[in-house]
Amino acid sequence: MNLVLRLVAALLAVATAHAASLSVQNPLLTVTGADASQLRSESPETVKLGPSDVLKLTFQVAEAEGGKGVQPHQTFLRFSDEATGEEGVQPVRVTPGGKAKFELNMARPPASLPPTTTNPLKVSLILGSFVHAPAQYELFDLYVPASHPPPTHPDEVAFAPRPEITHTFRPEQRIPAKAVSAFFGAFVFWPWFVLLGFWYEIGPRVPHLLSPHIVPFVVSLAAFEGLLFWYWVDLRLGQVLLYGGILAIPSTLAGKQALAKTSEWRLGRK
Amino acid sequence: MPPKSTSSSAPSNSVQSLLKSYTDTTSPRLKLIDTLLLFLMLSGIIQFVYCILVTNFPFNAFLAGFGSCVGQFVLTASLRSQVNPANRAEFKEVSPERAFAEFALGSIVLHFFVYNFLG
Repeated sequence: MNLVLRLVAALLAVATAHAASLSVQNPLLTVTGADASQLRSESPETVKLGPSDVLKLTFQVAEAEGGKGVQPHQTFLRFSDEATGEEGVQPVRVTPGGKAKFELNMARPPASLPPTTTNPLKVSLILGSFVHAPAQYELFDLYVPASHPPPTHPDEVAFAPRPEITHTFRPEQRIPAKAVSAFFGAFVFWPWFVLLGFWYEIGPRVPHLLSPHIVPFVVSLAAFEGLLFWYWVDLRLGQVLLYGGILAIPSTLAGKQALAKTSEWRLGRK
Repeated sequence: MPPKSTSSSAPSNSVQSLLKSYTDTTSPRLKLIDTLLLFLMLSGIIQFVYCILVTNFPFNAFLAGFGSCVGQFVLTASLRSQVNPANRAEFKEVSPERAFAEFALGSIVLHFFVYNFLG
């Protein structure tokens, strides 16, 4: 165990000693226009591309010491728009000798090119290797024609702050003018005069109303109405159901007796 | 029945004869019920007109008042049809006493619901 640890430590020491840095040599950038005009440059600050220009970039990856060509394990060109935050990464194929070639045809832009505006794209080269220190080179600013605006993802709205929820309430209902309410309040009573007037005219005879057979039934019906009025004023539902249930028993008995008696009178009169 | 001499007097004549035959042939008890029905109808109409013209603001109160009028009207109308001697053949098993008991029970239940709505 101890031996293994020591071995690993030794290997790591060797690796760090060998972690020589990488360098990019012989960079060459060619822009071929639509009219076959060529613009060559070795280390430009900015590059402008027209809608049908072709950009060619060749370079060689080599060790900083000795200049021996190396094939890094990962080689990427990164296009990033610092204003909008859009970026695209394009892998670059490198030969075992370290030679690399990258071509960007603006007539058929690759999918890795991010959506562009008039802002420049910063182009950087990223090298990764198991045995060398990683490296990143800022190459140049690339001006390309503006692309279509990036399509918005259907779920994008869900990841942004939503507008604040505001509740709208129905306006408070108006109470009508007191005079109108009072007028209708009085008006709704006049059918009572119609009812009482007609009843007075008809003059119903209730000869048995005060007989001891009938009175309990009438009283129990009145008690029910009184109970319901009490319910409106004060009682709760459970209470009124309880009291009503209790009141129902004598009411049923009284009603049975009263109606049996009434039936007797009716049949006897016949 | 007088012959219909003029078209203008015919409707008033027929209404008069209808009223006359009603007052002559209907028993006082049925008249009692009929006046109650008329009363309920008028009350309900007035409340409905108020609801339409002015406001339905305490809507639960309107429901309670109007519902009690309509419900009581229905109960009373069924009581009237059951105790009417002319319908005796129709309701052989329903004695007037039983009809009244049902009317009372139905009214109590109806009033229970109405008081629930009254708020």
